[in-house]
Amino acid sequence: MEIYGVFQVIWWLLLGVLLVGLAVMVGMDMGVGTILRYVGRTDLERRVALNIIGPHWEGNQVWFVLGGGAVFAAFPLIYATAFSGFYVVMLLLLWSMILRPLGFEYRSKLPSAGWRSMWDWALFVSGLLPMVVFGAAFGNLFKGVPFHFSWNLTSTYTGSFLFLLNPFAILCGLLSLSLSAFMGSVTVMNGAEGAIYERGRTMARVSSALAIVLFAVGGFWVHGMQGYVLTSGPGAGVPQTPMQQVVTLTDGAWFANFHAHGLLWLLPALGFAGMLLGLLAAGARRSHLAWWLGALAWLGVIGTAGVALFPFLLPSSSVPAQSLTVWNSSSSQLTLTWMVGFAVVFVPLILWYTSWAFYVMRGKVSAEHVAADEHSY
Amino acid sequence: MHDITVVDLSRWQFATTALYHFLFVPLTLGLSFLLAAMETVYVTTGKQIYRDMAQFWGKLFLINFALGVATGLTMEFEFGTNWSFYSSFVGDIFGAPLAIEGLMAFFLEATFIGMMVFGWERLKRGQHLAVTYMVALGSNLSALWILVANSFMQTPEGASFNPVTMRMELGSLSQLIFSHDAQAKFVHTSIAGYVTGAIFVAGVSAWYLLRNRHVELARRSFRMAVLFGVLSTAGVITLGDALGFVGGQAQPTKLAAMEGLWKSESAPMPFNLVAFPSQKDQANHGQVQVPYALSLLVTHSMDGTVPGFDKLEQQAVERIRGGIPAVEALQTLSSKPGDVDALAQFRAHEKDLGFGFLVQRYSQDVSKATDAEISTAARDTIPQVAPIFWSFRVMVAMGLAMLAFFVLAVIFSLRNDVVRHRWFLKIAVWMIPVPFLACEMGWLVAELGRQPWTVYELLPTWMSASTHSVGYMIFSLVGFVGLYTVFIIAEMYLMLRAIRTGPERPDDGDRDSDSLLNDSVNGGRLAGAEG
Amino acid sequence: MKTFLLFVLFMLIALVVIVLAVVLGDSGAWYFAWLVGTGMIVLVTAAGGAMLDAQDEHAAMEADAGARTRRA
Repeated sequence: MEIYGVFQVIWWLLLGVLLVGLAVMVGMDMGVGTILRYVGRTDLERRVALNIIGPHWEGNQVWFVLGGGAVFAAFPLIYATAFSGFYVVMLLLLWSMILRPLGFEYRSKLPSAGWRSMWDWALFVSGLLPMVVFGAAFGNLFKGVPFHFSWNLTSTYTGSFLFLLNPFAILCGLLSLSLSAFMGSVTVMNGAEGAIYERGRTMARVSSALAIVLFAVGGFWVHGMQGYVLTSGPGAGVPQTPMQQVVTLTDGAWFANFHAHGLLWLLPALGFAGMLLGLLAAGARRSHLAWWLGALAWLGVIGTAGVALFPFLLPSSSVPAQSLTVWNSSSSQLTLTWMVGFAVVFVPLILWYTSWAFYVMRGKVSAEHVAADEHSY
Repeated sequence: MHDITVVDLSRWQFATTALYHFLFVPLTLGLSFLLAAMETVYVTTGKQIYRDMAQFWGKLFLINFALGVATGLTMEFEFGTNWSFYSSFVGDIFGAPLAIEGLMAFFLEATFIGMMVFGWERLKRGQHLAVTYMVALGSNLSALWILVANSFMQTPEGASFNPVTMRMELGSLSQLIFSHDAQAKFVHTSIAGYVTGAIFVAGVSAWYLLRNRHVELARRSFRMAVLFGVLSTAGVITLGDALGFVGGQAQPTKLAAMEGLWKSESAPMPFNLVAFPSQKDQANHGQVQVPYALSLLVTHSMDGTVPGFDKLEQQAVERIRGGIPAVEALQTLSSKPGDVDALAQFRAHEKDLGFGFLVQRYSQDVSKATDAEISTAARDTIPQVAPIFWSFRVMVAMGLAMLAFFVLAVIFSLRNDVVRHRWFLKIAVWMIPVPFLACEMGWLVAELGRQPWTVYELLPTWMSASTHSVGYMIFSLVGFVGLYTVFIIAEMYLMLRAIRTGPERPDDGDRDSDSLLNDSVNGGRLAGAEG
Repeated sequence: MKTFLLFVLFMLIALVVIVLAVVLGDSGAWYFAWLVGTGMIVLVTAAGGAMLDAQDEHAAMEADAGARTRRA
């Protein structure tokens, strides 16, 4: 394989790393937002829950920004086509996301109960909606999205907004939501005590059980679905446009990679194991362990989806031959090389100082401290 | 085919969201370093008041920062949602600095800001100081990468078109990063942020001094802010000149618009101090000129000239004619990749490709473009002169006014008698909006002056947008305007409330509510306690 | 030992600064100017705050001395 092809695969893997990072880190904060009104019955309880992620949500959110930036840099055609094609969904995602910084910063700045309740609802919506959209977007990749290109690669999306909310996509959205609620719950368990802790535990068990069911149902659903097969094309490591390939649709084709490489079954197994053991760990009050198991579950789920689709990134349902793959939508070799260089230097650095930040802020958040500290959210 | 209404709505949406985002960014850039300076004094001298200062201004910093982050997310999305052709056409180059921004700068800033707010008790003094510097460095590095990306749109260096992949591709990352435009633009913008931070702190401090509240904190903050401000303003003006010099050579149409230069003139050229440019007549009305000044300003010599729109439009006609064969060759290559003749034709006319796209707006089949269509496209290369001309003048006037303000403020502050000049303190309060407006004007000059291109002389704005319906665009524009209006009301309310409440120690917390209700009584009591 | 570690740390910082200056001075003069300029602005600002304290102490001392002379 050409060296360019190697870099394309490396970036495909890096994209996976970033998506898992996004799902784990942003997902846990959003999970806390989603369950906020359940785990916190009083204003003080909610403030405790918010302050558990208070010092970190800002840094965590950068995974989301970086995810967008990385797709733009490494797969510009995906960024352009998906973001414009999913227009209304993207806007809903964006609008709910931009409520979050304000929800955190502004909520507790005024004593009014109405003001705070309003921001609690905002945090709920901005936790729930983005995670559903995140999963639903993945779901639509399996179904294919109706778009095509003109001669100069201007993309046109021909579906409607409602098309993106098909049952399978909603199932994937709910899977992503329940995993994020699980991570949010165990995060609350990590930092809280008493009644909040217990509610977090209940929520963790419910959400992980739900996730197991949804993941299994999703697997069967995909099995019966038509999958895309790249029959011929310029192939890996060759500069190309999406106008030069032949793509066919076959029943069950999304399982082809698993059939070809048996080891890949480890990924869905990892997903199930993470969820199941996470459920048990949360039940056994080992919340830190449960958090790591939840992260592994995310890795398993996103890995499963990515491997099933490979080499496709964004299949076109209206003109399958113009589907976007790792080979035809990536950046040039020079850009990919530079970006690998930057990622190799900075991702470990980021992991290091993020861990340091979590280490500094370790321990339980007490209600007294939240009430007394003027910096708290 | 692009609907021009959609393109216009996309432009309005981008301008609205970017200008709004840019209300919060400069304050973040400047205030972060001011916070670091205050905390430095605290760590080196151990005086509690500097810690109070860092915490109080830090609280205001956060209220502003939240909206900066929130509205920044919009920008990250908007290239893909509304400008999808632009994104795929130059994403190979433009995406890289955005991703590096996330990796190198935004992560740094966002991770450490949590530590800065919540870490006062958990970190050692020195550690916390380092964290504050990281926040300041991170936010300014963010600006660096964003402006590297922006300067590619202004002067596309280090990239070339690849007919195989039908897009622009990176040729040299270092050329992109170290382009003169990127350098001058970053330093100019970053330091403009410092000026904004300085005016903000000086203005709010002056407001306290006028009311005799928190005097010790306010006069220290005032002193530090004006020193910070006077040096920064000098830097902004220097770099503004450098940017004009660099940009003027690379973007002659922008320069001509800034100076209202319809007709080319011989050296030494006069400077239009005041004029009312008319796009329709292609001329200025009621102009007041300063002889010789323009040559001196934009070429740094008495015998330099820059072309006016008459010459530039003529050049555009020629380049459009040169660009037409390039577009034709690309169309052939799109259906027959590897066609040798088409490739040769493309290479011969490559440098004018963007001008070929320009005329495609009027003639989808460029080979059939008439002379009239070509001259209409050439006329398009002249941006809207009046708003650029005036934004530029207002920005410069504001910069000079701020310099004058800071010089006087430094004199008063160093003599320690600023409180006796109440008129000056009042001016200081009224100065607060000035740097924000100046920053917005600067953005307008830079981006309106780039039109009709998204990437200068390479990709016309009209073909950069996504292929959406008008309804979608109205939906999103209305959504943004609605949300952003609510946000700015909440932000201003909290900001003003935090300022009116003032710096309270945690043990003063109980007085929070009555200090709001009874400002003057409380103010008197605090001033008594402090002074 | 602590002094030695600090020495090593500062030497490393100095090394990084020199390398940065050499690289930036060549191809990115304005970036270099920003780095140096920002450092200078922040230091001058911090010094201005410290100077105000010094002025205050000086004024207090003078007032004190004046009061004592009057008493004498």
